[in-house]
Amino acid sequence: MTTRKARPMRITHRSGAVLATASIAVLLVTGCTRGESAGGPGSDGASPGITDDSISIGISSPLSGPTAGPGSCTVAGLAAYIGAKNADGGFEFGDGQTRQVEFTYLDDVYDPARAVSNFRQLTNDGIFAYVGALGTPTNAAVMPIAEEEEVPQVLLTTGARTFSEDADAHPWTTGFLPTYVTEGRSFGELLVDAGQPITVATLAQNDDFGESYLDGFNEAIDGSQVEIVASATYEPTDTTLDSQVTELAASGADVLLSAVSVTPLQVGVLTKAQSLGWLPRVFLPSNTSTPGTILEPGGAAAYPGVYTPSFSKNPNSPAFAEDEDVQAYNAAFEEYGSQIAATYTPHCAWSYAEGAVLEQAFAGMEEPTRDSFMESLRSITDFQAPMLLDGITVDTTSSDESGISTVQLVRYDAATGGYGPVDGY
Amino acid sequence: MSYFVQVVVDGLSNGAIYAALALAIVLVFRATGLVNFAQGGMAVAATFVAYALVRAGVPVLAALLAAVVAGFALGALLERGVMRHFERGEPDTAIVATIALLLLLTGGSAFFFGYEPHPFPSLFPNRTFEVLGVFVSLRSVGTIVVLLAVMAGLQLLFRSTKLGLAMRAVADNPESSALSALPVSRLLMVGWGLAAALGAIAGVLVAPQLFISPGMLDFVLVYALAAAILGGLDSPVGAVVAAAFIGVAESLAGAYVDIVGDDLKIAVPFLAVMVILVLRPQGLFGKKTTVRV
Amino acid sequence: MATASGTAPATAPATTAPRRRSPLVRLAALLGGLALAVVLVVAPLVSSPFINYQLSSIMVFAVALLGLNVVMGYTGQVSLGQSAFLGLGAYVTAYGVVQGWPLWLSLVLSAALPATVGMLVALAAARLRGLALAMITIALPIVGVPLARRLDEFTGGSQGQVVSFLRAPETTGLANDQWRYYVVTVIAVVVFVLVRNLVRGRVGRSFAVVKENEAVALSMGVSPYRTKVLAFTIASLLGGLAGFMYLAVVQYTSPETLVFATSINLVAAMVIGGSASIVGTVLGALYYVLVPVVAGQVSSSRTALISGAVLLAVLFVLPAGLASLPRRVGGRLRRRTPAAEGAPATPDPDGTAPAVPTPAAASTDRR
Repeated sequence: MTTRKARPMRITHRSGAVLATASIAVLLVTGCTRGESAGGPGSDGASPGITDDSISIGISSPLSGPTAGPGSCTVAGLAAYIGAKNADGGFEFGDGQTRQVEFTYLDDVYDPARAVSNFRQLTNDGIFAYVGALGTPTNAAVMPIAEEEEVPQVLLTTGARTFSEDADAHPWTTGFLPTYVTEGRSFGELLVDAGQPITVATLAQNDDFGESYLDGFNEAIDGSQVEIVASATYEPTDTTLDSQVTELAASGADVLLSAVSVTPLQVGVLTKAQSLGWLPRVFLPSNTSTPGTILEPGGAAAYPGVYTPSFSKNPNSPAFAEDEDVQAYNAAFEEYGSQIAATYTPHCAWSYAEGAVLEQAFAGMEEPTRDSFMESLRSITDFQAPMLLDGITVDTTSSDESGISTVQLVRYDAATGGYGPVDGY
Repeated sequence: MSYFVQVVVDGLSNGAIYAALALAIVLVFRATGLVNFAQGGMAVAATFVAYALVRAGVPVLAALLAAVVAGFALGALLERGVMRHFERGEPDTAIVATIALLLLLTGGSAFFFGYEPHPFPSLFPNRTFEVLGVFVSLRSVGTIVVLLAVMAGLQLLFRSTKLGLAMRAVADNPESSALSALPVSRLLMVGWGLAAALGAIAGVLVAPQLFISPGMLDFVLVYALAAAILGGLDSPVGAVVAAAFIGVAESLAGAYVDIVGDDLKIAVPFLAVMVILVLRPQGLFGKKTTVRV
Repeated sequence: MATASGTAPATAPATTAPRRRSPLVRLAALLGGLALAVVLVVAPLVSSPFINYQLSSIMVFAVALLGLNVVMGYTGQVSLGQSAFLGLGAYVTAYGVVQGWPLWLSLVLSAALPATVGMLVALAAARLRGLALAMITIALPIVGVPLARRLDEFTGGSQGQVVSFLRAPETTGLANDQWRYYVVTVIAVVVFVLVRNLVRGRVGRSFAVVKENEAVALSMGVSPYRTKVLAFTIASLLGGLAGFMYLAVVQYTSPETLVFATSINLVAAMVIGGSASIVGTVLGALYYVLVPVVAGQVSSSRTALISGAVLLAVLFVLPAGLASLPRRVGGRLRRRTPAAEGAPATPDPDGTAPAVPTPAAASTDRR
């Protein structure tokens, strides 16, 4: 580097003072001493964060950086549901009170350390529950603290198994989305049901998301005529997946399972495969299969069939334009969510549904305590949440499954620009 | 055989993406002697101008030209308003100032357009043609042709025009340039402007493939930096050759070396860059510099 | 120090001998140090777990930044790979805890292993200068992230690893957050004292000479190569140690710990705090930890915008970092009352304004 003036070390005599001042400043700025911390139970036995007319919940999600799109949508959908319900008078609770929900959200940039920091900040500010956060590593870092401090960390917007597979080991944590295993399994089952030899090429993200997909798929095709003949992985930071697709195309497989969670990369897969003259049936995960942003730019109409597991309604799809849920969602989102998330991803609809599940849990909550909340939240069955497809219901009673444990496979219909039912392979 | 060629072609089209940004890095280094972390952010901001215009119905080519103009204005403005303050100080401070600009530009782009990626129309038809069993997309060919033209233009600018020579002189030695009556501050401003305009071209070229989002070039910047440094930092030809090398090495390693696999293929070009730099610190095409006491 | 500035280009300020301190200043320093010690000891007892987490994080990143400052601030070599050592240290610790090693062994290895890696890289690369060297350091986190995913037997793969350790012993009567705070604070204080002595001694002088001009260093019998290897080794050692502390505080590590973006943010925090300054390092850590918190308070959806604006604003006002604030303020006062103590010929107290870089070095050293 450039020449610098030799800087004599002459500042030290003030260093102590500066440091002390700074430390004190921190304490003052961030305030709140141990004695008055909101950590302990309230005077009347109520848990922190709940009064007779209000309850506060918090969430930390990536709101900047590469994962900010889904992260913002996760916050926005929840904010939309809560905002609309609050304006409508509030949430009714099982103890007879009606409460307004105070909703705080923070940005963690998908960084686990920051997620922990945010969680601590939210509990310090006295939230009652931590709801709907997106992200596997971030939630994994928060989970042990939530368990230790007995703060509900619930309805997480992730399909990772960790948060759903063992409720006894972590009673304070629940996942909401169908696990990636469930999605992968649904593909496998469709192929096995066809009862004929089928060759498959798989492309999976090199992390828990991709691995779970393959696990579920492999589980389903075990011992059948369906065979994986080529497989490749990718990193979310890869610029393009051209070379992976070239490698897979060389196998000429009948089916491509593309467990890719990054929008531009998924579009790139669809364009690249057809440009190589490879036209397999394509299976896409639920988070990268939106017609407007993935299928149309990717020229999906060229493929003999594009399938995806689905469990929510797409508010932008003409097929649902007359749907009451969707109209309510659109109105609420316009009013309370649109300033948080500019663009739609399915996470907006999913977290909106979480809001409704939360409402159910509140309704069954007989005491203003976290214990009562968890008990109520874990006993919801057969609940048809808004924005979920007909027939997809929420069941929180299973100790090894997430809130939504079923998916419907749907098939892209280029003529209508939306998805329609699947009638076999 | 055709598979091998296909893998190389795929690598080259990736390399073209890295090269586009690497050229802008080289330009700003030649013009200001500084590595600019905000290069990607500036390119994205200018590309968003094109995006907004395209959405309003303007043809892509016209939008590209507007983005180039906007990019030039943005670059010149940032140099005049921000970077000038740091150009005479510690280089570390200047580099961190470019990090701050990156944050601001990313946050600013997200403020208007959100973080979600948006599709972006291509200048070139989205078609592929087949040569001897190898599929080549017209878009990649178009990108490479434009890049080579830009590269040649830059080479010409620095080698043979008064402006280019003056810019090099200023980057190398601002004080004596000022003494020889060169308009140092205006030249620095033009340098940043040109680099940002070039970034706009790069952004519009790669956006159809990467989709436009505020973070579109964040990771590409790492590859581009590697290419620019491997190429010797002040050589446009070097940057392009190095970018192609990185793209192809990565692609081949992923396809042929099982133990490397798709996950670690990124390590291959970076380790190669390490080895090459250790053996040849000035980069592939850089000129050896002597340190004066 | 006398040698360092004595042979430096003529533009260097000619403060050679340490200025004599007046008794008043000594007293202030003593009181300041005492106040600091009291604050450090008492703070966690009266603060909520959230504040203790922030204070502990400040200690973690102060050590990571100190390492970065040794190599960048004191020795003048750009390093964009500090996050890799942070991550490696955290992984080594996690592995040790899971395997049931004694804690001291994990601690030692969490510093020794990254130090070895850093030294090996430096042995290969330290002949390079400027950006070529920076490029090699960039490769560390870039390669490290997929490598951490690949080696999932050791690292827990992309899911990361929750590691529960350093629980407060019953006898102390402390909560876990308080105990962990004390552990990381003790480590940080020891490290800071050691490094402070190091950079003020013979080694520190060789750092400064190498930073100033490698050719001059050579002529003075200081090997730039060996000095740079040493600086890198120390930086990676401290990075690894910070990784141990990180795990102690966060209790979780994953490939996200070592991403390149963290390295970039650390560089920004180091410069914001103050290059080649011990106090600056601490201020940089305060900045690194607190600005995201404050930005989140202001507007959670606009954190990038706010962080960028704050960063730029600080650079504009204090180009030499937050550590230059007292000097800058002091300098202003002194300029107004030239007769005041210590005033004669204090050359530009904020250390920035005239800054005519030696042209030769400016043009060559950057590449």
